Amino acid sequence: MSVKVEVGAGGIPHNQVLIYGLVGSLVLIYLTYLNTYFQTQYFAFFGGLAAVAALIWGTDTIKHLCSYGLGTGVPSAGMIALGSGVIAALFGATTGVLAPIVTVIIAAIIGAVAGLMANAVVRMDIPVMVISLIELAIVGAMTVLGLAAMACGTFEFLGMITGTVSILGFTIQTYETSVIGGSIIAVIFMLGAIAIQHSFNACLGPGEQQDRTLTLAAECGFLSMITVAIISFAFIGMYAALVALVVSIIGWFYTYRKYIALSKRDAYAWLDAQPIMEPKGGA
Amino acid sequence: MEEIVFGIGITALAGALATVAGAAEDTESDIGSQGDPNSQVQLAPQMGYIHRIFNKAVAGEPPAYGLWVALGAGLAWAFMAMQINPILAIVLGSALAVFVQGVYATTAYLGRTASLAKFGQPVYIDILKSMTTVTMAHAFVAIFTTVAMCHLMISALGHPFPLPLLGLVWGIALGAAGSATGNPFYGKERQYQEQKFGAGVPISASGNIVRYAEAGQRNSLDNGFFSAKLGGPASGICFGLIVFFELWRTVVFEELNIWGPIIVGVVVILIFAIIDRYIEVWARKNFGPYTTPEEASS
Repeated sequence: MSVKVEVGAGGIPHNQVLIYGLVGSLVLIYLTYLNTYFQTQYFAFFGGLAAVAALIWGTDTIKHLCSYGLGTGVPSAGMIALGSGVIAALFGATTGVLAPIVTVIIAAIIGAVAGLMANAVVRMDIPVMVISLIELAIVGAMTVLGLAAMACGTFEFLGMITGTVSILGFTIQTYETSVIGGSIIAVIFMLGAIAIQHSFNACLGPGEQQDRTLTLAAECGFLSMITVAIISFAFIGMYAALVALVVSIIGWFYTYRKYIALSKRDAYAWLDAQPIMEPKGGA
Repeated sequence: MEEIVFGIGITALAGALATVAGAAEDTESDIGSQGDPNSQVQLAPQMGYIHRIFNKAVAGEPPAYGLWVALGAGLAWAFMAMQINPILAIVLGSALAVFVQGVYATTAYLGRTASLAKFGQPVYIDILKSMTTVTMAHAFVAIFTTVAMCHLMISALGHPFPLPLLGLVWGIALGAAGSATGNPFYGKERQYQEQKFGAGVPISASGNIVRYAEAGQRNSLDNGFFSAKLGGPASGICFGLIVFFELWRTVVFEELNIWGPIIVGVVVILIFAIIDRYIEVWARKNFGPYTTPEEASS
């Protein structure tokens, strides 16, 4: 039985973050369906925003899970989240318009199995393990589905396995130049896995503050969006990808500035080219 | 025969690129105190040792380099899909991946240091300005050479994996090689010069890292200089040999028998295990204060 260590008391209650994250990411990912509805690609960036919403929720979950003395386990939590999530997202994507909802259900099942294994078989005996791994698997799945939808403009499986290539002026459809065929899904996996664990891993310590950690989560999400937007130039129209890129850069710039301001607020001192200040009483 | 000679040439070139990548990777991660040395840098202010060392913890090195290289490869793949010349595509992809690495490094330092406010550790923004750029430069070399190596495997040796997946696999291998080989030079010895060689880190010495340099106060650029001399080349040789033997056994022995490369791989691992054991015992006997093998430090 692990002992719970309190980190950064106060802030928004976790259940509230959970509801905002789950509903927000589901609604935002469904907004990419406007692409299919209007036969356009300009709404692809909503997938990235869904990933940002999911990442904020996931960061808060990791904070709760890792308050049970899992210092070096923070990056592993990100890996298991995206590992469970990518399976659920790929399975869910095959179910057409129901994809996001099926993804959430499948991810919850995978997360529950992983959580029960961790508690009952590996005997980690952490009270919040099962529920946290369910949440993390859903977060991972929504991140993968969101970023993949952002890259190719749709969350449907057929769109993820079909790319186009032009040879001698003819445009033909191939598997090799698609999101899954070109293994862009592997890049999305790593982008999500590092983004989900980085915020808490970077902000952990006795002075951790929820608003700073969650701002960093949003910053990591927007940073991942920037790179996916650049990759999406290979899959969707130039102007649609440009819209996604501009949205991501604005979001990233805003959250990065806010994060630096919050770090300045929480830091002991903000010094430029100063020597070591030895604490009173000596080391 | 001609095909095998061509294959061995490509293998040697890939090994050389990997050597450069390993050296740059270890220097980069040591400047940022990532991986092995990080825990002590993180702990030092809590024990009252305020320091001016860069502390950028972006996961462990294998996952972090898994991302940087996979991202560089993914962006390069996308640029190539847009009909951009491969060399230009790899350079652009690596540059964008380095931008992501730099942003992650700054947020990690700010976050970790701000959360240590209780212990009086200030944020030194001159560290952020001068050292992030240096780690970015080293990371660019590591990412560019690894992505170039992966591209070489696909285009010249006909590897069936797409570039981003190969980037992910070799990125994790690169991070693991640097983390396992190079970091102990800095984490175990350079940070603990006041302890006897091979003594490990007793609890009483936790966080008591070397904070003053030959002249003035030590910062992570001093560690970069040190890593470039010892840990970096060691990691480079490690990763270079991994890539070289991995490709060499396939290129040369695949023609003979489909099981050939697998048998050669096992034999190579056994030979290296024997060499490693011999060196370890020899070093313990000659340098370490401990003679029994149970005293291995962690």
